[in-house]
Parts: sequence; structure tokens; C-alpha cells
Amino acid sequence: MIRVGRRARAVSVIAAASALAVSLAACGSGGGGVEDTQADKGLPIAGVNVTYDPNTLVNDGKPIELEWWAWSNIEQFQSIADAYSEIHPNVTIKVVNQPWEDYWTKLPLELQSGSGPAIFNVHNSQHDNLIAKMEPYDIDAADLEADYTGAAAHVIDGETYYIDLGLMSGSIFYNTEMWEAAGLTDADIPETWDEFREVAKTLTIRDGDELRQAGFSFNGAGQTLQMGMSYQLGQDLFAADGRTPQVDNEANLEVINRFLDIYADGSGDPDFGASATESFGQGQAAMIYAWGWFSSTMRNDYPGIEWSAFQTPVPTAGETPYAFDRYNGESTFGINANADAAEKEVAQDFLRYFLTDEKSMKDLALSFSVFPSYKPIADDPAFTEDPALAAFGDIERYIWPGPVPATFETSTATMWEEILYNGVAPADALATAQKTIEKDLDGIDFVAAENLYPFYTAD
Amino acid sequence: MSNRTLTEPGAPPDERTPISSSPRRIKKPSSELWLRNLTIGTVIAALVVLLFIPIGIAFVGSFHDWNPLNGSFDFTGIDNYVELFADATFWRASWNTLVFGILSIVGRVLLGLAIAYALFSKLSRWRTFFRTIFYLPTVMPLVAVAFLWKLMYNPQFGAINTVFGLDINWLFDPRYSLLAIVIMTIWKDFGFAVILFLAGLYAIPEDVLEAASVDGANAWRTFWHIVLPLLRPMLFFVIITSMIGYLQAFVQVLVMTNGGPGTSTQLISFMIYDQAFVKYDFGYASAIAFVLLIATAALTAASWRMNQSALDTPRRGRRVLRRTEGKLS
Repeated sequence: MIRVGRRARAVSVIAAASALAVSLAACGSGGGGVEDTQADKGLPIAGVNVTYDPNTLVNDGKPIELEWWAWSNIEQFQSIADAYSEIHPNVTIKVVNQPWEDYWTKLPLELQSGSGPAIFNVHNSQHDNLIAKMEPYDIDAADLEADYTGAAAHVIDGETYYIDLGLMSGSIFYNTEMWEAAGLTDADIPETWDEFREVAKTLTIRDGDELRQAGFSFNGAGQTLQMGMSYQLGQDLFAADGRTPQVDNEANLEVINRFLDIYADGSGDPDFGASATESFGQGQAAMIYAWGWFSSTMRNDYPGIEWSAFQTPVPTAGETPYAFDRYNGESTFGINANADAAEKEVAQDFLRYFLTDEKSMKDLALSFSVFPSYKPIADDPAFTEDPALAAFGDIERYIWPGPVPATFETSTATMWEEILYNGVAPADALATAQKTIEKDLDGIDFVAAENLYPFYTAD
Repeated sequence: MSNRTLTEPGAPPDERTPISSSPRRIKKPSSELWLRNLTIGTVIAALVVLLFIPIGIAFVGSFHDWNPLNGSFDFTGIDNYVELFADATFWRASWNTLVFGILSIVGRVLLGLAIAYALFSKLSRWRTFFRTIFYLPTVMPLVAVAFLWKLMYNPQFGAINTVFGLDINWLFDPRYSLLAIVIMTIWKDFGFAVILFLAGLYAIPEDVLEAASVDGANAWRTFWHIVLPLLRPMLFFVIITSMIGYLQAFVQVLVMTNGGPGTSTQLISFMIYDQAFVKYDFGYASAIAFVLLIATAALTAASWRMNQSALDTPRRGRRVLRRTEGKLS
């Protein structure tokens, strides 16, 4: 009896140790690459003011592996990482897909716990949740400002933690086949919202009472419209102090009623699909408002849809509005301040490579449909060939409110759902959104950048 | 007096020598004691580290303006609780949670009991097959089920509108969105209730049911007067565990509606998640969590008392079955 008991204990101890060893084998950042012994690669130095010299040994040539978190364009980022690894074969950078819906829960918690990826993509709406855990770029701010449009706005106490790789805004995406089928031509592209309303009616198809094709849908996208269109009416998102949010006002109410009127015309319906972008991709909506990232989605997920884009209409014909829309920057990646010294050193080297690689910057800008911030490629004709980019027109008349906290978007999204589905009066829904945003901003040290707009006028 | 003592081998016990009344202690081997202490110690340590300490930290945090990402942890007294009880969204979420809980519990119990009783019936065939089929939703991951039902509820191509010829935007119409989540929840959970009720039914003594049958009780009387009272402990268990679970329901709301449209399907647990992991207001989220904890504990205690009271109370006011001419009336 005793002998069996001892044997059973020995087996269980071995099994437990084996299980522990197997589970721990997945941990650790052992290098997946080979050793690099050749510092001089015979490659030219890249860049203009920010430069990159590839003729070095990174991490003393020893193998090292880094993780890079991204929520989209995974293959594209991996190809950039692989191109870097071709120069420094001892470095392996693995791009990990963390979907957008989970990204802003997982990443901040990972960083807060002292772990997380060495490199991670950034969205400036999460600035406040990330900045304390980010390593400053080991690049002179003046050099960044010389090479990158808008870099100056991202300097904090002389340090830069991320910049814009491109500037993105919204435009009206339209289905060109539906456009032609409705007898419309380029001459019918609307300049004003009143004209837009008529075009939307023309593009609407009903089978009796049943909507078959929406002329215009903004389901699930009301918040992106709301935050931009009030600028057309001269309304800033923040008061002159740069801290007090201004959502509950006549301008925003006018924007809401404008789009409710389009639905009241029958050109769309809140119950016609949960997502305007999905409806457009599925060929159920003729026009939607979307930002430049949607170009990539259309190319990748809905290649069968023929589409183009035109500039967002304005309130009054022939009159340049205060701003056509807001823009936001598609950010460069951040470096984890918690990463170990070797990983940070490699990340900083990869950053210089990334910021000076014209091909990568061009491909990313085209993929995200953003105006490239990288000045050396800004005049590339490829950017005017992308319909979503060509639609912007004069980028100077787009305003950047700053890295606006996510509560603006989430609160106005809730506001629109309350209006469209819960029957809440627009004025009441706006008032609730204002209170929610004020509450969420309390304790966050955010200052808007609207005053940096060349045509800024304080309310 | 005998000179012999109990220590002498073979010596008979002396009548005047008191026999020890304390039980003989069996000395356990030291390895067993060591294992026992290790096991209990591990459980206690796990409870302390994984339960009591986090709850304690959260309780303290509920009195602070606490954002772990920017490092703020400023004492604010009861401000979070004051703000909470003045928050219309909280009351709406509380109401939603109550409605969701009641409907889900009633649906789960009724459906589970009905199917269990049907399977228990001597008329049922292929019991093992049906037990397996009904239990399948229980073993499916809740996230996958929620996504599946989200597709089924799609107003344009979803199976529900298509099969039943309806035109309802289930997850975006406030009249139906919470109900849609309730239906999905009942579908997911009724199978486990079936298994539990079946276990309870099989635990009922056969002779009691036979006696009822011999005495002429029909199916309804047997169920109402014999089966249901004997099933009370299992019924109570299902209700209590359902209540505790549904007060914390979160996944289905996150996947199917994200609390919308607007806030019309926000439950308390979703509100905790939103405040903690979207807005990073851990202090406010902790305050909500403690209010939920107290409410859950109070409801559970009240349910226990009701059940105990029902068990202790004589059957007053209930018609006593009388035997008349060999039949029960």
C-alpha cells in the first residue's frame, strides 16, 4: 500500500512539474532571429532631418524578439517589420492583431500591470490613458518638426511620444453603380446639404413601404458626423479656455435636425441595418459619411463594390465654412516604457527606420487614406488618385481639436441612439451628452488644440 | 478490594474503576495532518488573496477618485455613492437588471421544469438523447451564443424575422431589445435547469408517487401536491443560483447591444464594466459594484428566509385531500 502511495505521489509531482514547464515555455522573450555579425550593410543613410543609418549592429547583433500590437493593417505592419528584419536579421518583430473593440481595454491594462508589448499602435483619443506608460522618442523634436507636419503639436515638455503619420478626415462615400443607375453624373455631386438631401432622395429605392436601397445612411455613425459638422456652423468643440466642452448648443441641434430630416424624407431608416459602413459594403446604401480608414475596409472586405468619394457638403453655396470638418491624425506607434532596456533600444532603432522609410510611409498613408504627414512624400501624385483623399480639397480648412478623449465619441454615439431608437428629444439627448462628457472630463488634464487652427475664432 | 489492576493482562475490569467516557483519540499519521493543513491553508490563502484583499481594495477605492492609468487615487469620501444614487443611468440599469432577472429566472425555471417533467414521465422515449440535446446550449460558450443570436436578430437577414415573417429591429428597438437578450439567455441556460430538476425528480421516492397513483391522484394533483413540494429544495437552488448569476449578467449585453440603444439595455454589471474599463473611473465602478454586492446579498438572504418560512409553516388554508370511496377529493 505504502509503495503505491509513494509511486502515485512521484507521478503526480512529475506531471505537475511537466505541466509547469510546458506552460512557462511559452513565456519569455527569447530571440527568434539569427545572430548579426556584419555592421556595415552597404546601405545608404535614409531620411532628411530625421535620419537612419542601417549600417549598425542592433542589440550587439544578438537575437531579440519584440511584439507589436495593432488593430488593423496587420499584414502591412508585418511587412514593414520584416523589411527591417532583412536589414537586422537578429531582430524579429511580431505584429499581433488585437481587435479595436478590445484594444483599449487590453493595452492600458497590460501597460498598467508593467508588461505589454514593446511597441503598440496608438490612437490619440486614448492619449490620457497611455502617455504615462510611453517612452519618449529618442529623436530631436526639432528634426521631427522639420520632417513631419503637425509634429510640434505633440511635443510635451520637450519630449515626443508619438506623432501623426497622416491626417484623416471624413468625406461622402458613394456607390458609383447606384449613382449611374439613378441617372446621376459628376455634375450632380452636391455642394450644399440641401442639394445632398435631394440627391439622397433620388438614390433611394423602395418596394412599396419597404426600403430596398437607402439613399443615405448614418446608422452607427452619427457621432463621427456630429463632432465634425458643427465646425461648419462656426461652433468649436471647446470653449476659449480649451477645457470646457461645448456640445449642448444650437449648432449641434441644427446638425442633428439636418440628418433627421434626411431620414424623414425616407432616404434612410434607423432600422435599415445597424451599421452604415456595413450597409454600404453590402450594397444596401448609396451614400454614407465615413473617414479615410474606410477606404482600406472597402478594398479589403468589399472589393466587389464600385465606389468613389466627394467632399462633405457645406451649409451655404459658394461660402467657405469656418472649417469643412475636423481632422485627426493617424498616429505613429508608441514604445512601452516598461519594456527592458534591450527592447527599448531596438524599438528606438526601428522607430527611426519606420519614420524615414518613404515606401512604408506612402503605403500606410494610402492604405489609411490619410494625407501623409511625412513632408518628403507629401507631393506624391498617388495621393490625389485616391478618391477619399482627393475629396478633402484644401486640408488647411480642416481643424484639429487635439487628442480629444474618447468620451466625446461614445457620448455622442449614445446620444444618437437615444434620439433614433429611444425617442428622446434631440435637445434632451444633447443635454445628457453634455453632462456625461463634463463628468468624464473631470479629472482628466486635457486641453484642446483648436486655438492652433489658422482660422480659429474663440466663441 | 481486588489487587488486580486493569493493566494486568487478562485482568477483569474492576467494578469500582470508572470506565473512561471520553472517546479514544485515533492518532492520525503526520503525513495526513500535513496534507490536511496544506489543503486548508491553500484554500484560505487563495480566498484571502483572490477574494478578500481585492474586495477590500475595491471597497477602499470606492471612496476615492481612482484612475489606475494616470495614477490618481484621491480621497473623496462618499461622493461616488452620492453621485451614484443621483445618476439616472444607474436607476435605469437597476430597473433593467430587475426586469431581466425576473424574466430570465421565470423563463428558465418554467421551461426547465416543464422539460424535466416531460423527460421524467414514463411516456418519454429516448431520454438520453433529449437530455443531451437540451444540455447542448449550456456547454456552448456564452460569447459564441451571443454572437450567433445577434446574427439571428438581424432585421434584414436574421433567421428570426425571416422564419416568423416579422419586421422587428430586435436589438435596436427599446421595446424588444431587453426581451431579445432575455430570450437568448433562457435558451442558453434552460438545459442546466433541466438536468438539475431531473436530478430532483429522480430523488423523489418511488413509493410516494405510487401511493398517489394508487390513491387516484391525477397527473396535475400529483405534480402540484406531491412532486412540487418535494422538488422545493432543488427549485430553490435553481432560483437562487439563477438570481445570483443574472444580477451579474454582462457578456450577452456587451456582445449583442453594448448597452444600447442608448442605455436601454444597460445592466448594472455592464455599467460597472463601462465605468471601469472604458472610462477608467475605478472609484465610481467600485461604488456600483458594492451596491450590487449588497443588493445580491440582501436578495439572497430574503430568498433563504422565504424558503425557510415556507418549510416551517404548516399547510394552513390548503384543502386537505380526503379519501372518499377509495378516491381522493
